[in-house]
Amino acid sequence: MKIIIAGAGSVGRYMAEQLSKFGHDIQLIDTNAKELARVHAEGGTVTGLVGDACEISTLAKAGAADADVIAAVTGDDEDNLVVSLLAKQEFAVPRVVARVNNPNNEWMFNDMWGVDVSVSTPHLLTALVEEAVAVGSLVKLLSLEHGKAGLNEVTLAPGSPAVGNTIANLKLSRESVVVALIRDGHVVAPTPDTVLHENDEVLLLSTGDADEDLQRALIGPR
Amino acid sequence: MIIVGCGRVGSTLAIELENQGHQVVVVDRNPAAFRRLGEDFTGRTLVGVGFDRDILTDAGITAESAVMAVTSGDNSNIMIARVARELFGVERVVARIYDPRRAAIYERLGIATVATVAWTSNRILRTILPHDGATDWTDPTSTYQLVERRITGALAGKSVSSTPAHVALINRHGKADIPKSDTLFQEADVVHLLATSEQISSFDAHLAGHEGAHS
Amino acid sequence: MFRKRSKSNPPEVVAYDATPVAEVQSRVHTTVMGQITSIKTQPSRGLPNLVMKVTDESGSATVTWSGRRSIGGITLGRKILITGVAMRTGGIVAFVNPEYQLLA
Repeated sequence: MKIIIAGAGSVGRYMAEQLSKFGHDIQLIDTNAKELARVHAEGGTVTGLVGDACEISTLAKAGAADADVIAAVTGDDEDNLVVSLLAKQEFAVPRVVARVNNPNNEWMFNDMWGVDVSVSTPHLLTALVEEAVAVGSLVKLLSLEHGKAGLNEVTLAPGSPAVGNTIANLKLSRESVVVALIRDGHVVAPTPDTVLHENDEVLLLSTGDADEDLQRALIGPR
Repeated sequence: MIIVGCGRVGSTLAIELENQGHQVVVVDRNPAAFRRLGEDFTGRTLVGVGFDRDILTDAGITAESAVMAVTSGDNSNIMIARVARELFGVERVVARIYDPRRAAIYERLGIATVATVAWTSNRILRTILPHDGATDWTDPTSTYQLVERRITGALAGKSVSSTPAHVALINRHGKADIPKSDTLFQEADVVHLLATSEQISSFDAHLAGHEGAHS
Repeated sequence: MFRKRSKSNPPEVVAYDATPVAEVQSRVHTTVMGQITSIKTQPSRGLPNLVMKVTDESGSATVTWSGRRSIGGITLGRKILITGVAMRTGGIVAFVNPEYQLLA
């Protein structure tokens, strides 16, 4: 695949190096030649392009016209949004991924600016920390499909109405599916008859707004 | 009146608008920039990022506000303009754009952009405020004036031949062209009219249209 | 030898250098000419988007204007020229914030 990465900071360089291992053709854009020089390609090709990715001419030079993916991962949300918009509007790039630096700006990282997938490191980190420490509350790990679906996690607290129940008896709405249980360090593939235990970490894929339903079934009244 | 960016242009706008009696709020990331406003400035200042929803709410933004995005960053200015327009419904929005190529792209989003040229503040004021009789040129007999206007939704779709004012040039999507007789006006066109003052007044009345004139 | 002008290239289309929608290639800078056959506001997360369909003899293309609730002159039945880079996914040709020209 042809991938353009805007921003050769530590995130951009890491992405370029990792993706090149899969044999993809990577174009890395940055205004700073020294940052570009720090990349080591392993496998595929990584080409560095000095320039401002917010300029159409630079994106054209990087081959945006036939790129499969553009990842806007600079340290500046303004730049990431503008690169994304240009990628979608001027070059119809099929998949635009953008990095959110400041969570306050996350609300703009969607089709408003041509972003297909946004990644917010602070958000992810928070979610992962919550997942590690929170027992008896709903943690949203990942948002998929432009926010229409989500991967949720609940570690069952002692008082949870789900403890001792089978998955079928949870009577979850059609919007949620239990995709895995993590119990004592093992992944358990769920069946309708699986009985839930205290401290089970339940992973669910939900579409739409399943919060209320999950609260009722797995956590209990507030 | 909300001005984001208290550089040379921003401070000039703020002072001028305050002198004209408007309520002005100036936003800048750097509080030191407010020094440019001088001691006589009685408007509000806010420290923060202009495309932050909370800052704009704090600044008292409503759909009737005018927002001028004049920071030193093109990208920030476009973001401010879009947030003001799309989230808060502001109609009078102007963004200053240094890069003329980018300006052409943003014009397609329907946001008024002003390039950094001489008299940037004047050009911005002309976009925000009602027409103040400024002309680019008047002929020696004082019959005809050359004026610039931005087309609103009221005239969009109408033929350039439908107005007695002569449309000498249309600036659209970053390009300038002499219109043909069957060319239609489009929203966000910047037109240069060669006309008598009556024809210009009549044109302005049409621009204001049924939506009501901007005050 | 008498050369018939093909039906898919009436004189107007040739003058404007427009491509029939059915022949629009993905991600190539093109111009299409047609009639506006539908307009709707499609809000996404509380922000407006104007989506319209432009139809010519060969088919329809979708045009999305980000952040707009309405655009003066963009009305049902209007003839319009759209210039931009379209994405073709399956049978759907889609433009995002293209240049446009209203036609009489």
